Amino acid sequence: MRVRGDTSGSDRTEPLPRGYRIGGWEVTEPIASGGWATVYAGRPVDPAKGPAEVALKILPTSGLAPRQARKVAETARREVELDRRAGHPRLIHLLDSAVISDPDRAFLDGAIVLVMERAERSLRDLFDAGVAEADVARLFAEICEGLAHLHGSGWVHGDLKPENILLMADGALKLSDFGLATELTGTDGTHGYAPPMGTLDYLPPERWQAPLGEHGVEIRPSADIWALGIMVHEVFASGASPFPGATPVARGAAVQEYADGRAPLRIDGAVPPFWRALAMDCLAPTHADRAAHSAESLLARITARSSPPRPARRRWGRRAALVTVAVCAAAATVWSHAVGGTASAARDEPPGRLKVFNADDDCRDRTDRNPQCSLGLAIDPLQPYTVDNVVPTRVWHGDVLAVDCRLPQGVPIIDESDASSTEWYRVRLPAGSAASSAWLPAVRTADHPRVPDCPRPKPVR
Amino acid sequence: MSGIVVHLPRVGGDVTGALGGDPVTLRLGPGEVARFGRGSATIPVELLLDDEAISRLAGEIRVTDDHWQLSNHSATQSYLVENPEGAGEYLRVPPRRAGAPIPFEFSRVVLPTRRGTTVAFQVFAPDHVYLDPDGMAGQWGSRTVMAYSLDETALYFLVLVALCEPRLRDESPVAVPTTPQIVERLRGHAACGELKARAVSSHIDYLAEEKMRISAPPEHGSCGARRNGKREALVGTALRFGLVREEHLALLPPRASTGLRDRETDRTGGGDGARPGRHIGK
Repeated sequence: MRVRGDTSGSDRTEPLPRGYRIGGWEVTEPIASGGWATVYAGRPVDPAKGPAEVALKILPTSGLAPRQARKVAETARREVELDRRAGHPRLIHLLDSAVISDPDRAFLDGAIVLVMERAERSLRDLFDAGVAEADVARLFAEICEGLAHLHGSGWVHGDLKPENILLMADGALKLSDFGLATELTGTDGTHGYAPPMGTLDYLPPERWQAPLGEHGVEIRPSADIWALGIMVHEVFASGASPFPGATPVARGAAVQEYADGRAPLRIDGAVPPFWRALAMDCLAPTHADRAAHSAESLLARITARSSPPRPARRRWGRRAALVTVAVCAAAATVWSHAVGGTASAARDEPPGRLKVFNADDDCRDRTDRNPQCSLGLAIDPLQPYTVDNVVPTRVWHGDVLAVDCRLPQGVPIIDESDASSTEWYRVRLPAGSAASSAWLPAVRTADHPRVPDCPRPKPVR
Repeated sequence: MSGIVVHLPRVGGDVTGALGGDPVTLRLGPGEVARFGRGSATIPVELLLDDEAISRLAGEIRVTDDHWQLSNHSATQSYLVENPEGAGEYLRVPPRRAGAPIPFEFSRVVLPTRRGTTVAFQVFAPDHVYLDPDGMAGQWGSRTVMAYSLDETALYFLVLVALCEPRLRDESPVAVPTTPQIVERLRGHAACGELKARAVSSHIDYLAEEKMRISAPPEHGSCGARRNGKREALVGTALRFGLVREEHLALLPPRASTGLRDRETDRTGGGDGARPGRHIGK
């Protein structure tokens, strides 16, 4: 669509004034500016049409030669295409796009505007502020969820870095900035061709020597895995890259020395053993070595830390379950953090309640709501229970949830103690969650609340 | 970043009395070192400079970041590093200087001999990093940048612009200029008066192999067709990724009004003398 922009003032460097209108949206304040684009906070002109807050990413094309303008348009096209074909809760969602027509502001005339979900801050902001080790697992599990979806849908991000990973107001993490995202096109869908661009500190070794073809440079999902390894190191090492050097160019040279076998990988001592091993796998020197570590397998490793399916523990799990039922019937930890007194009071009294049960005994002993001990809730109980199919809200052992109804025949779930069930409960989510309800597998509770059977749910997607 | 390329031309020839030797080309990655000098059984060198005036171990080259360093092991002789494209630009590396950073993309390292002649070898550093034209100063570390950059003041860039000119001017969607056409087109340029077809070809090879690492599409047919494939791939990628843009046409000398095929090339752009060179050290 081509929309008419507001007309007042015309300075190239002057920021857009508050209230400047772009289609159905208006600018509230500037957020950030990069080489290509300026990002503003915005809101819908009609509050009923769209979320209260959005981000307006403005890609100017005026003053550019036709080929440059095409390059900007290509960047925007990649973002739109990716959102249309591979949208996911872990990827920033594109709400709208427009082209500004404002002849009085020469700089803005013809600019492409992408309207996106508004995030609160970036992972870089979080890194700068410092991240507790307990939160690292959740953050990286969520990054891996996004990456696993992206790679599974046949795309490579191509510019993964903390600046391009955003945190929403509710704490949910989303990948963003798909201007260099590339669809895998090789005969086996193993690689694609990206523009010869990237961020020096996150480029894998093979990129420094990659030949440039007419379609760009060859890029594989393992490029994102390399960037993930750099970020794992950064989060524990006060933001430092594992590669020495005062400048990105010097660190790039160090990457080459390492990949050529002339220098070892020196992981900072502050990186805990589990994460050190993970980072070293992500930073394997060749693409072939890295290919063994997919976003999915890394995600499994990170989540497995919370509920390791060790055979010796299975019997324990079952026996402990019975004990817990008896003990916890009285000492219920109300899901106060999440549900909140006011929110639940405002809603109807639920037909029943249940208490969450975690089959991992290490987790049952903890009360700190450690991310590694959190359990997921499904979006659709008729779809495979995978990372694509969970709501952002997590629950912990001992949480008491409001139950609406029971679904006898959903996707069968087997828990860590080998208990299996096709039963699911529809549970209510706290006010402010993206959805009002989600689904808990019956194996995640030892309770049998007397609730009505659910109507068969409509497929979510 | 693939490092540097060192080229020692055939030894012998104009150096009287020295033994003839094959030309040597070394490719060094970041952190790698090459020693040069007269060498011996106990003092091995990667670059053998067979002249009695040159020490057994005369010096060494080390690749660091996107450039290289020169160490002078001689106690008495200074070495010169010339920039062949710099209109006389050079720097002097004094005796016993360790790790002098060399800022030139093209260098000719010159060692004196006793007979008033010199021994020289070339070093190419194609990985020099440049900031993006639309990038902002400062904070470039975490920015998304173009990972291939070209020195827009270098001769190879002029050759690349001349190669791209017909398409930039939308004159010809297919034809890429031939080497003689490029020599003709650049003749009016102050820096290109003496430019020969052979030099144009080696600039094109350097661009394709070292700067942009062109992966030319598989070719079939004669050798001539292969060379053309390389040129077309260069032009295609340079335009597609904005390495050469409309604004760069201003670098070329003015054209005769009837275009490239006109033999009457406008020469008013020449004759202004060489581009200003800077002397770093003496």
